[in-house]
Amino acid sequence: MAAASRTEASRRPDWRALALAAAFVAAIAVPLFLDPQGYWIRILTLALIFAALGQAWNIVGGLANQISLGHAAYFGTGAYASTVLLIHFGLSPWIGMVAGMALAVVIALVLSVPTFRLKGHYFALATLAAGEAMRVIANSWKEVTGGPVGLSVPFTPEDSFWLMAYGAPRPFYWIALGALAVITVVFWRIKSGALGYRLRAVKENEEAAEVVGVNTFRAKLWASLISAAATAAMGTIYVQFNYFFDPDTVFGVASISIRMALVAIVGGIGTVIGPIVGALVVIPLEEVASAALQGQAAGLSAFAYGAILIAIILIEPRGLVALWQRLRGRMSRRAP
Amino acid sequence: MQFLQALVDGVLIGGVYGVISIGLSLVFGVMNIVNFAHAAFLMLGMFVAWFAWHYLGLDPLLGAFLSFAVIFVFGCGVQRTLIRPILKAPQVAQIFLTVGILIVLENAALLVFGADFRSVQTPYQTSAFDIGGIIVSKPYLYAFAMALLSGAAVWAFLERTPIGRAMRATSQDPMAATLMGIDTNLMHMTAFGIGVGLTAFGGAVILPYLTASPTVGAHYVVLMFTAVVLGGLGSVAGAVVGGVAVGIIQSLSTLVFPIQLQNLILFVVFILVLALRPEGIVKRRAA
Amino acid sequence: MRYTRRFETSRRAVLAGGAAAIAAPFVSRLARAQDPVNVGVIVPLSGANAQFGINSRNGIQLVADEINAAGGIKSLGGAPINLVIADSTSTPTTAASVAQRMISQNQVVAVLGAFASSLTIAISEVTERRRLPLLTMSFSDIVTGRGFNYVFQVVNKGSTIGAAQFDYTMEIAKRVDVEADKVAILYEDTAYGTSQAEGLRKAATEHGAEIVMDSAYPLGITDVTPLINQLRGSGAQLVFPVSYLNDSLLIVRTMRQQGLTIPAIGGAAGYVIPDFHKGLGELSEGVLSIAPANYDLAPDYTERFRERFGYFMVHEALEHAAAMGVLREALEKSASRDPETIRNEIATGTHNEGWSTVMTGDGIRFDESGLNVNAFPVMVQWRGSELVTVHPADVARSEPVWSVETGQ
Repeated sequence: MAAASRTEASRRPDWRALALAAAFVAAIAVPLFLDPQGYWIRILTLALIFAALGQAWNIVGGLANQISLGHAAYFGTGAYASTVLLIHFGLSPWIGMVAGMALAVVIALVLSVPTFRLKGHYFALATLAAGEAMRVIANSWKEVTGGPVGLSVPFTPEDSFWLMAYGAPRPFYWIALGALAVITVVFWRIKSGALGYRLRAVKENEEAAEVVGVNTFRAKLWASLISAAATAAMGTIYVQFNYFFDPDTVFGVASISIRMALVAIVGGIGTVIGPIVGALVVIPLEEVASAALQGQAAGLSAFAYGAILIAIILIEPRGLVALWQRLRGRMSRRAP
Repeated sequence: MQFLQALVDGVLIGGVYGVISIGLSLVFGVMNIVNFAHAAFLMLGMFVAWFAWHYLGLDPLLGAFLSFAVIFVFGCGVQRTLIRPILKAPQVAQIFLTVGILIVLENAALLVFGADFRSVQTPYQTSAFDIGGIIVSKPYLYAFAMALLSGAAVWAFLERTPIGRAMRATSQDPMAATLMGIDTNLMHMTAFGIGVGLTAFGGAVILPYLTASPTVGAHYVVLMFTAVVLGGLGSVAGAVVGGVAVGIIQSLSTLVFPIQLQNLILFVVFILVLALRPEGIVKRRAA
Repeated sequence: MRYTRRFETSRRAVLAGGAAAIAAPFVSRLARAQDPVNVGVIVPLSGANAQFGINSRNGIQLVADEINAAGGIKSLGGAPINLVIADSTSTPTTAASVAQRMISQNQVVAVLGAFASSLTIAISEVTERRRLPLLTMSFSDIVTGRGFNYVFQVVNKGSTIGAAQFDYTMEIAKRVDVEADKVAILYEDTAYGTSQAEGLRKAATEHGAEIVMDSAYPLGITDVTPLINQLRGSGAQLVFPVSYLNDSLLIVRTMRQQGLTIPAIGGAAGYVIPDFHKGLGELSEGVLSIAPANYDLAPDYTERFRERFGYFMVHEALEHAAAMGVLREALEKSASRDPETIRNEIATGTHNEGWSTVMTGDGIRFDESGLNVNAFPVMVQWRGSELVTVHPADVARSEPVWSVETGQ
């Protein structure tokens, strides 16, 4: 399995990298054709943020098949770290972002001790509880987090790169795109490197990997620290973009933890472009369902969104990338 | 005294957590699926019991049987159409399918039943027994008794009936069960139906002290998973023990910590128990 | 390369399809002779706050339909009001996206919403930057506490309502000669509960009352027994619970179970909706609660709501209707579709016609921060299935009743 994909990769690595790089360059130009304060640029920015989050999740969830449902713990940590530093010390969110990443790494280290021995569902549920625990802390630790009332990012009349403050979504599009590119490259490097090989060994059979001398704990730890740091960084970008947040927003199970994993699974977990495809489908889909059914009976748009999710998973449980490959396979077989 | 009171409260509330968790544990044990939609069936059970109370004048403690029957049939249908096709799919796909079902059921309830908060009025819901200074809430006590009753019934069903034995066989070794001539598809469907039906039953018995609304299940999702994991995923007796443990931890924690931190204490205990005893408090019986 | 191109096309197709779906109704409306005035309504229509969102929508819908039936906005040539209603869900990010969508796709002249404070704050961050008026009935002190110019709060701030909850109770207690200086505060840990509890706490301290219990509990609590055990042991003579419906019912019932008969004075939300009475039956009789406004103070208007929707006009419906009333006046007086002009009219005018008068106080007038300076909270009391205003005395419809039997 691993050998097969490696030969495949060595046969045409440049082709894929080039295609993705070209898409990246094209994506840079997209905002130039959209209203800088408009609605679609906002939706695309959100989609890019969730693509990056899905990619960060993919490092542990996809490569090692450690299904984390508590990544909001890192996301919220990044959000609060940078905002609290900005409010109380006027520190640039870029510096706050680094602080948030460091803090998230510490939290990931602490959580690794009790959770890494757990397998499958147990790991998923333990991480779920960890994310919820962080939400309870943010809600009750009023002195630092502002409690349930939430925090507003200080309003700055002038746009400023140093303060990551912009009145319109457009600059955030580029920031999110840059973050997505960085995290995608990190993911790619991990996937095709030694760490990726060890993580795949963990995914296939952890005991067997141990027997042949893979330090699975260390592999998982590295992956989860990188993933946590990347998630925290996105937390900072997300709240700078949204200007306001409360504990439920950034530590939410449904709004963050599950959604970032959902983006990866809808696209196809473990693949490079899976989370990107997933986010570009899931986030606009929510919007289209909401826009098309606005003014209709209460609950109808959420109902439609849930029904479409079910349909996607029933049609192809391994995600849209797998569906695409299946369809292409079928077409090429039919072609003469 | 205070301690004793908190302990009694914890056991009573925990018994109910236990029953709504049995179904989740059963579904996991037989099908190896983590069902996030489970709490939505609790909500549906509450609505069935509410309508039975409103239109037929049936006390929710009796309406619970109707809730079980209706949701059992509905659950079988859901399993047949949505869960069965993904039984062999990757674990993540299963999780997100059930999340999708949760979203659909919650909003379908909103569309059909509306957003009103529905609660029942029963003569016993505002009274309590006073046993030597210890106050034992009547609705809690009745719910607890019904919960244990249904738990015992499920246990007897699994242990003493041929279908129950076939179901256990399916959960332990599906391949061998198939070879023995057991229809595993049928077993999966029945187990899912019983699982969600039981949770609906639990929803009905707590209706005398809680309010039905489309999103009520959300409050129970994490609690149920905690109870099930503490008890050991897949174990029926474990779910009850886990539920009672959750109730006691919640109740006792308020003696020392602010109630706001109730669930934080619970999650810390939960993660610690997992780390030290990943198989849960009650070790699952070997096959 | 083929892969990328396909991928790009499919994404563009999604976008184009989405845009078409949104633009379609708008384009068809443009074709009509008389351009309607688009007004954005963003409220939670799904999730835990759906009921309050639906009530709010009903209130706004009623006013808009009345305006249209009476010939639309006259100064704009009889242009009808067209409500663009959307679900904010319970996520602030979604609420902000919806606001953005309404501004770009529907060209709304103003936004009304969004019940929950966190949603309103998220929306205001968008409307402020796009210079669009936002009218809200969210309580949170932050809404008008950030120096924003385009947000207008038709009700009092949460802390003011919390303070009134305490002060009014003391005034009523004095009137009926009851002594109560040991009080307990229970509140859910949401933005609403926290800011209102802040006001309560401050008022109690100023009054010299002893706060024997001050406890936040988690949202969605399913068992309040520990809380009531503690309350019983605290020796409180009065309890101020600030909670939504489920916890309200739990608190009142559990108090009864434990034979605790001290009065509970509710903090609006769950205490002032019909489901409170439906859930408690005769136990609700005589329960006092603070409210930012009440329907019995403007029956001429609010009875029209009851006729159409079949239940009394709950306060969130009433306040959103008042917001729509203010917007109608501003449109009429400014004779403009320009958000900036409309904003100036809202900010500087006194709004005292039609639905603007249903709020407490003599019409609605906003101060520099955008807060309605005329409004004041009222104390209401359950009588059968109705809520009656009982305090302050000059607006009260009935005398407050205070006794151990009915007080709780």
